[in-house]
Amino acid sequence: MTTTSVGSIDLAPSRASGLRFSDRRKLFLVALALPAILYVVLVAVWPLAQGIWYSFFDYNLLRGGGRRTFVGLDNYIALWADATARRAVINTFLFTFGAVTLEFVIGLGLALLLWRDGRFNRICLAFLLIPVTITPIVVGLIFRALLAVDYGFFGYYLAEWGISGPRGFLANTTTALPVVILIDVWEWTPLVALILLAGLKSLPTDILEAAAADGATALQRFRMVVLPLLLPTVFLALVLRVMDAFRVFDIIFVTTGGGPADATTSLMLYGVKQGLEFFNIGFASAIGNLTILCIALMCAVFTLLIRRADVRANER
Amino acid sequence: MIKTSFWKLGTAGLVMAGLAGGASAADKPLAGVTLTLASQNDQYAPVIAKLAPKFEEATGAKVKVDILDYGSLLTKTQADFVGDTKSYDLVTMDIVWAGQYADNKYTVDLTDWIKRDAAEMQLDDIYPAMIKYIGQYDGKQVAFPFAGYAAVLAYRKDLLDAAGLKVPETAEDFVTTAIKLTNPDKKTYGFVANGQKGPAVAQDWLQYNAQLGGSVLDASGKPAINSEANINSLKVYKELFDKAAPPGAVDYDWGGREESFRQGLAAMMETWSVGAPGYYDPSMSKVVDTVAITTTPVAKGLPVKYGLGGWGMGINADIDPAQQEAAWQFIKWLTSPEVQKELNLEGAGSYIRKSTLADPDLNKKFPFLPVLAKSFENADGDYRPRIPQYPEIQDLLGTAVNAVLVGGVEPKAALDEVQEKAAKLF
Repeated sequence: MTTTSVGSIDLAPSRASGLRFSDRRKLFLVALALPAILYVVLVAVWPLAQGIWYSFFDYNLLRGGGRRTFVGLDNYIALWADATARRAVINTFLFTFGAVTLEFVIGLGLALLLWRDGRFNRICLAFLLIPVTITPIVVGLIFRALLAVDYGFFGYYLAEWGISGPRGFLANTTTALPVVILIDVWEWTPLVALILLAGLKSLPTDILEAAAADGATALQRFRMVVLPLLLPTVFLALVLRVMDAFRVFDIIFVTTGGGPADATTSLMLYGVKQGLEFFNIGFASAIGNLTILCIALMCAVFTLLIRRADVRANER
Repeated sequence: MIKTSFWKLGTAGLVMAGLAGGASAADKPLAGVTLTLASQNDQYAPVIAKLAPKFEEATGAKVKVDILDYGSLLTKTQADFVGDTKSYDLVTMDIVWAGQYADNKYTVDLTDWIKRDAAEMQLDDIYPAMIKYIGQYDGKQVAFPFAGYAAVLAYRKDLLDAAGLKVPETAEDFVTTAIKLTNPDKKTYGFVANGQKGPAVAQDWLQYNAQLGGSVLDASGKPAINSEANINSLKVYKELFDKAAPPGAVDYDWGGREESFRQGLAAMMETWSVGAPGYYDPSMSKVVDTVAITTTPVAKGLPVKYGLGGWGMGINADIDPAQQEAAWQFIKWLTSPEVQKELNLEGAGSYIRKSTLADPDLNKKFPFLPVLAKSFENADGDYRPRIPQYPEIQDLLGTAVNAVLVGGVEPKAALDEVQEKAAKLF
C-alpha cells in the first residue's frame, strides 16, 4: 500500500542531486534511524564485541599489570573443566526450566480464572500484580528473613515442626534451589498470567461460541480451540520469562549467595564474581558469552515456534 | 521583630565568615582542598565522618566520607585504581588486601613519609605489629594502620559458672567446653561462628585453623591447603557446628553471628574486638551483665599468638602530589593520640596505640582493653595470608568449608579440591 503512494510522488521531477526520490527517501530514513543505530552500536554491539574479544585473552586487571595475553579458546576450555562452572550451567538450566514451567502452569490457570471480565476479577488482577512491582533484591531479602530458622515467620515453625530440618531450607543443598525457584515463581507468575490473559481477551469470541453451540465441552474447547489460538501468546510469555530467568542473579545473590556449597550458583552469579570481584575479565567474558549463547539458542527455538504457531493460527 | 533579628544574625554571620576566610588563608594551609575517602562500613566510619569537620577546622581541608559495604568498597576502589579515575584520595584498606595493593602499586608508598614524621607521629606508641601487618608488604608501606582489631573470645560468665566450667585456655578445651555447654532444648549453644558461604565462613574458619595449628601457606609461601593440620582443624570446625552451634549458624555472616551472641543464644564466640562495645550496650544486647572477654585459646604446645585484623588508610597513587601530601596530613591527624582517643570514646572500637589502650577514660568505659593490649603484643596478622591471591583463595575456601558444613562433603576431599585450584593461582 505504501508503495503506491510513494510511487505516485515518485513521478515528480528529481532534484539536481541526481538521486532518485526513493534513494533519497531511503537516505532520509537511514538518517532518522542513525541516532538509534549509533546508540545500539555503542551500548550493545560494541561491548558485546569487546566481550567476545576479551574472552580469548588471559586478562586479569589485578595481576600482571593488566596485561593481555592471547590464549585462544583456553578460557572456554577452563570453563568446561571447572566443576563450579559446570554446576552453574546445570543450576541455571534447572532454575530456568523449573521456574518457567511452574510460572506457566500456574499463570495459565490464573489467566483462565480471570478471563471473564468483571469487577471482582479486575480487583484480583490488581492485587496479583503486586509481587511483580517489587524489586527482586527486596523479594530475596524478604524471603530470606521469612525463612530464617532463628526468627523467620515461616522458617522458625518449619524447623520447629521438623519440616525443613533444624538448619532450614536455604541451608540445605537439596532444598535450596527448589526454594529459590519458588521465590521466583512467587514473583513472576502474575506477569505470565497477565500476558496470557491479554492473549485470551483478544481471542475471537465467535469461534468459541460456535464451538460451545456445537456441543464441545469446556475441556474440548480449551484443548482444541483456546490453546491453539493462544499459542503465539504462550510462546511470547515463555520467551520473555526464559530470557529473564536464565540470567537470574539478584534473588539468588541475596538469599543464598550461590550456596550452600555451589547448590544455587548460577552462571550470572559466577560471572559477576569472576568479573567484578576477581577482575578476571577474560574468564568472566567467556561466562557471559556462554550465557548469551544459551539464551540466543533458546530464543531462536521459541521464535521459530511462535512463527509456526502464528501461521497455523492464521490458517484456522 | 523576628525579621530584624534574622537580618542582624545574617549580617553578623557574613562578617564572621569574612573574618574566618581572611584567617584561613594565613594559618590553614590546606584551605580549599577536598579529600574524598572511601570507607568500609565498620564502626569507625560514622565516627570519622563525625570528626572530619575538626580536621577542617584545624587545616582547612574538607573530608568527604563515602561509606560503603565490603563488596562495594572493593569493587569501587579497584575500579578507581585500575581506571586511574582518581575518584578517591584516601581508601580504607583491609589488612588482607596489602599484597594486591603492593603488587599493583595502587597506593603511595608511605615509607619515607613515616621516617620523616616519626617523631611527630609518636611512632613508638603504636604497636609494631600494626605497622608491620596493616600495610607493610614486600618492603613497601601501602597503607597506614588506623584501626586494629584483635581476635578475642567473648563468653558468658553465667553459663560457664552454672555448668561449673572454667574459661577454656586451650583450643582443645574450647571444643569440649562448647559441646558441654550446648543444650538445644533450652536454646543454649556452646559456640557460634560464621557458616555462610563466602568470606564469612572462610575468615572464621581461618581463625580456628590458625589456633589449631593449621596454615594456608607452607614455609616457602606456596599453598598447602590440604595439609594434615588443616584437614583436622576443618573436622573440628564441623564437629563444633554439628554439636555445639545454633542450627542457623551455617547461614550466619558476621551480623547474624554477633546478633545471636547478643541475644544470648550462644555461650562462647570468637570474634573481632570491634564488636565488643556492642555487648555492653543495653539497647542492643541481652548479655550486658554476663559477658566477658578474654584472649583466644591456642592449641597445646603451639606458640601463643593472637589473630590480628583491621584497617589501614592508603593514599591513591594516581592523585597529584599536593593532594597526596594533604591526604597524608589527614592520616597523621587520624592516627594522632588525641584523635584516636576521641574516635574510641565514640565507640569506634579501633585501636593502634599503647597509650589509647592504657587511657583511664577509655578503660572505664570498655573494661576489656587490657585483653586487646595482650593480643596486640603477640599478634599474628598473617594467618589470613596477605598475598595478592588471597581474595580467590578466600573464595575457594568459602565454598569448600561451607560444603563441608552443610553439603556432606568430606574435609579432605573439599580441601584437596581447593589446593588443586589454588595451586593454579601461583
